[in-house]
Amino acid sequence: MRVLVAMSGGVDSSVVAGLLKSQGHEVIGVTMKLWEGPNGEMPETGCCTASDSEDARKVAAKLDIPYYVLDYTESFSEKVVDNFIDMYARGLTPNPCVECNRSVKFDHFLKQAKKLNCDKVATGHYAKVVEKDKTFELHKADYLDKDQSYVLHMLTSSTLEHVMFPLGTISKPEVRQIAADLGLKTAFKKDSQDICFVGKKNYRNFVDKRIDISTSGEIVNSDGSSMGQHSGVHEFTVGQRKGIPGGQGAPKYVTKIDVRNKKVFVGDKKDLLTASFYLEDVSFVNDIVNDNLTIQTRYNSEDLPCTIEMLSEHSLEVTLLEPTYGVAPGQFGVLYTGTKLIGGGRITSKLNEALTV
Amino acid sequence: MKKNEYLYLDHAASTPMRDVAFEAYKKTEAEAFANSSGGHALSRKAKNILEDSRDNIAGHFGAAPKEITFTSGGTEADNWIIKMPFINNKNKSAELVTSEIEHEAVLASAEWVESLGYKVNLVPCDNRGVIETKDVLEAVNSNTEIVSIMLANNETGIIQPVKEIAQGLKALNSKLIFHSDVVQAVATTKLDFHNLGIQSAAISGHKIGGPKGIGIMYLSSEVKLPSFLHGGKQELERRAGTVNVSGVASLSAALDEQQQNIISQNEKIRNERQEFENILKNSQDIIVLGDDVDRLEHISNIQFKGFNSETLMVSLDLQGLGVSRGSACASGAQKPSHVLQSMKISSDVINSHLRFSFGWNSKKGDGIHAAEIVIASIEGMK
Repeated sequence: MRVLVAMSGGVDSSVVAGLLKSQGHEVIGVTMKLWEGPNGEMPETGCCTASDSEDARKVAAKLDIPYYVLDYTESFSEKVVDNFIDMYARGLTPNPCVECNRSVKFDHFLKQAKKLNCDKVATGHYAKVVEKDKTFELHKADYLDKDQSYVLHMLTSSTLEHVMFPLGTISKPEVRQIAADLGLKTAFKKDSQDICFVGKKNYRNFVDKRIDISTSGEIVNSDGSSMGQHSGVHEFTVGQRKGIPGGQGAPKYVTKIDVRNKKVFVGDKKDLLTASFYLEDVSFVNDIVNDNLTIQTRYNSEDLPCTIEMLSEHSLEVTLLEPTYGVAPGQFGVLYTGTKLIGGGRITSKLNEALTV
Repeated sequence: MKKNEYLYLDHAASTPMRDVAFEAYKKTEAEAFANSSGGHALSRKAKNILEDSRDNIAGHFGAAPKEITFTSGGTEADNWIIKMPFINNKNKSAELVTSEIEHEAVLASAEWVESLGYKVNLVPCDNRGVIETKDVLEAVNSNTEIVSIMLANNETGIIQPVKEIAQGLKALNSKLIFHSDVVQAVATTKLDFHNLGIQSAAISGHKIGGPKGIGIMYLSSEVKLPSFLHGGKQELERRAGTVNVSGVASLSAALDEQQQNIISQNEKIRNERQEFENILKNSQDIIVLGDDVDRLEHISNIQFKGFNSETLMVSLDLQGLGVSRGSACASGAQKPSHVLQSMKISSDVINSHLRFSFGWNSKKGDGIHAAEIVIASIEGMK
């Protein structure tokens, strides 16, 4: 098969290229240039840096596969960065990796692969594609510590048909060992954790610089009294403690953000307990399943037993069997049964109903 | 051509070295490796080769030997002539006139001049890709120090009215320097600098089958220019640094072979390009830039409406055809070409252009073969 491999310059995607090549596939390596400096240069920090693409090039040379740096800056900026800023400005907590997978990696990149007559695209995500009777299922990776199926929840069977995740059955230490055995220079490279386009910079500064209007306003206590002023709703996210005036005895948390009136509401930890919330923009990998459902409300978080009720074609209500803390509007809720991913959507808190997009 | 042989159509970026150039390089390194500025027998041998090569090269361009200085390439020559007139220039109103479609070596140097506070006038080209003489002359005034207009554009191959501009400038009776980047033109043109009427020119060795890292700065004896590189007193005290004598000898040999065969070489290139363009025109919805104006024999800049040039270039590469998207870019940035922008090519097709460039070692059948690969790629992408 001809496979287009997205190579970030990290060890995971390096090993993907190496494994596929050793399995006899025709492998083509691509570094997706997602973000650039003012003069079109690759950034120096974060992900997609010039040195990352140089690592990817060296790996491709070592594997003797064709390698290209292709420009996705326009899609990325439009679909991921603008969305990131917009979400913060609306008091929501964005997940740019999900947006990038949805709009760039498994859309634009996949289309380009088809144009280049590739049978499949492959990435270094830890997740599994399982074929059953000509439908394609998405499962958690065997190595659960690294499972990334959460950020891939928007993929449907028809997309998964063209996707390979060769690391789904391998552990991270094994990946590093394979890289070392293949003599790849990325074998012991540190994993990147930052939001790729923000790098080590504070994401709030990043958002600050890109929001035109002031979003400063009042901090409101649970009894309705004012606790002073805040400098912008985008500096808060539900469940946050930082930035709230102290001296109140018990620690206070952000419980709700009213963007329209620029108010940040705070309360006690118990006020953050959530038993039920909505998911919107919901998609399902295959058919809807309602047995033994669990949900992750953050990337690689605990699987919480739940039931769902469809409200419309693309929205549903989730009821947790046990209430939990820290469900943040804007993040994604991803439904599983066992290791099989059923679908997911963006969380809308009942508390924040006024903010529903 | 054998089926799995890679077809190279990016000669505008660089050409393979000619055998005679290789031989000259090896022979010089072996027999005359010494520093050409030294005082012993081996240095004299190197110096003799250097000066014989200079005489020979000057002869090909209708120039006097002392008007030829060897540089590291075209970029150095462009930098030198564009920047130096503005170093310590007492006239703070001094101006530079150049065009929007120049090579980056000129444009980036012009930006640097501008950053010093001098005025830079950028003349656009017309929709056909041609710079109009009157536009250049209108941009010139008594403060203009230097005018720089390329002889032919590197992305489109479109030839510019340099001789006419030179005559116009002369009529203005100005003391300004008229420089021309002839790096691309020299690949398929016989040039006489005096006849062209320019005072300065930049040439690069590797565009004509010579080695990389060697270039020529032609500077008319009427012009005095401060040095760009300081150090030893090489190159008539104009450029410091041990002279790359092997590179010079190699370039001289490449130039000999090229100039002696230029008519037959161009005929071969013309035929292949013609065949290539005709096949594509007859079967695809394409536009060839510069079809109705004077154009260098070896360059085809083609618009593939509805196709992304980056994806198409990758597809061609995977099928064994090497071309470029205009000018080489290492970072993969898909910036619209400044040349196509100056030609007012609309934004929906500006990233749909590829440059195919034939060269001295292009073979009969390359045009047909390239067209077949392009058609297969396009059909595959539909």
